[in-house]
Amino acid sequence: MSESRKWLLAAGLVALAVWLSLAIGGQWINPFVPTSELDERILWELRWPRLVIAFAVGGMLALAGAWFQVLLGNALAEPYVLGVAGSAAVGAVSSLMLFPGSGLGMSAGAFIGAWIGIAAVLSFSYLGPARLLLAGIVLAAFWGALLALLLALLPEQRLGLALSWMMGDLSTSPIHEGGLLFVWGVALACGLALSRSLDAMLLGEMHATALGVDVRRLRIRLLFLASAVTAVAVTAAGTIGFVGLIVPHLMRLLFGSLHRVVLPASAVGGGVLLMLADTGARSMISPAELPVGVITALIGVPVFLWLLLRRA
Amino acid sequence: MSLLSAHKLEVKRGENTLLSGLDFSLQPGRILVVLGPNGVGKSSLLLALAGILPIQGEVLLSGKALKQYPRPDLAREIAWQGSLPPTEFGLSVDQRLNLAMDNGLVVGGEDELRRCCKALDVASLRTRMLGELSTGERQRVELAAVMLRDVPIWLLDEPTAHLDLRHQVAWLSIMRSQADAGRGILVVLHDVQQAFSVADDVVLLHGGGRVSFGAKGALLVPEVLEDLYGTRLLQLQGGDGQGVLVPAYEGGGDEAA
Repeated sequence: MSESRKWLLAAGLVALAVWLSLAIGGQWINPFVPTSELDERILWELRWPRLVIAFAVGGMLALAGAWFQVLLGNALAEPYVLGVAGSAAVGAVSSLMLFPGSGLGMSAGAFIGAWIGIAAVLSFSYLGPARLLLAGIVLAAFWGALLALLLALLPEQRLGLALSWMMGDLSTSPIHEGGLLFVWGVALACGLALSRSLDAMLLGEMHATALGVDVRRLRIRLLFLASAVTAVAVTAAGTIGFVGLIVPHLMRLLFGSLHRVVLPASAVGGGVLLMLADTGARSMISPAELPVGVITALIGVPVFLWLLLRRA
Repeated sequence: MSLLSAHKLEVKRGENTLLSGLDFSLQPGRILVVLGPNGVGKSSLLLALAGILPIQGEVLLSGKALKQYPRPDLAREIAWQGSLPPTEFGLSVDQRLNLAMDNGLVVGGEDELRRCCKALDVASLRTRMLGELSTGERQRVELAAVMLRDVPIWLLDEPTAHLDLRHQVAWLSIMRSQADAGRGILVVLHDVQQAFSVADDVVLLHGGGRVSFGAKGALLVPEVLEDLYGTRLLQLQGGDGQGVLVPAYEGGGDEAA
């Protein structure tokens, strides 16, 4: 398939996904011909903002995943690998403990927690990729233990709220959907500006240096950028697994490894994937909802295993 | 003026001082061969000169201190070939070669790419993934990538490693013609015979801080090399009348006795 036809196909798929996500739900509504005022309000006040949130969060997670994979020189890295999700969850649950009943408090706690996690990782940024990864994994385990402790101490009636946050929840976002889309755009632009250096990093740090890349500076920038984007995504939607791991891989399989292609493809592909997953999550057992993280994990695990087997 | 010259160069790796007090100069059109046993710092020397490892002492690149070059400018002067890049991220041969062109600012375009691929016999591999290639084929791709970098200085770390005989011979002759075209080449080799055939000048790293730099005629002699490697060498008469040095393999049966 030629390059331009691939992109045309991709654009068609995005449009189809948007249309489906608007149409599917507790009741089927064709976005082009809404039959009542209620339908219009469901479409544009409920489904559309939620779809935008899902798109932006999915895109950000996929971008962060692509960056972490290059930064750590490890194709199996994902946005939460360095413990940012864990520290965000600790922040959210702490806030739930101290200020029960405040949804905004949980988000603020998550955001602060994410940045504490980032600061902890940044202090190890001078380590080489392999040891940075190890440090991140150990930190993640630490946050996990802390989270388990907090959950054990949490009053039982608030446990459900904590768990649903931890599995990802796109129904409301403390950050306006326009703001999320803006962060998505800025992140993609920053990534594209670094794409040439990122490509050189695919050859390893020594080759990248010999090709004129200031590797130390690039690593700090990448670590900061990827972590900041992860923090925003986690704050908006809780922790949603596998999007950040799977999407960059799929895009590399489809479009090759060069970042001026992989990054925009991931930003869009991750968005579409999460949009569809969320449509499934809110429709399958409507009027109740499944946590979207359940859907992404149910799709993500088999795809991931398939990728692993393919590589072996 | 020399392309690259070092005075009292010291190279460390972590706390370990690998070599110190090294003086040498690399002239355009000449091949400088680095020889020495394992672990004396041959690769580290190249990494330091490529700006990848920190360096102490005075190194001048075209008369200006190496440390003063911003990283991208350095890449316009020096190409480095060393470890094989990872295959983790699924780059094709063509993509890998394009990375050398993009960042090294070689703008010969597709013609130049085709010429280098032909020279290294990798033209038929261009659409393949790096991970599917044999080690020798990957090495040839790396050499093609160096060849694409049209910069004054090449630093090559065992370029003939993994190559079959035909490609070893071909690469030695490419190095010669590239040097004749005005490039300065600093190359680490392990094969004494290859060193004989391409060297103009030689750096010997003896280990324990001992270093020597000089013309081929003075340093590539049996006594010096026997001391360098700590092994006995035999001088044989080649078919073309030239002397050939081979290690005296011992314990190999009657003929060794």
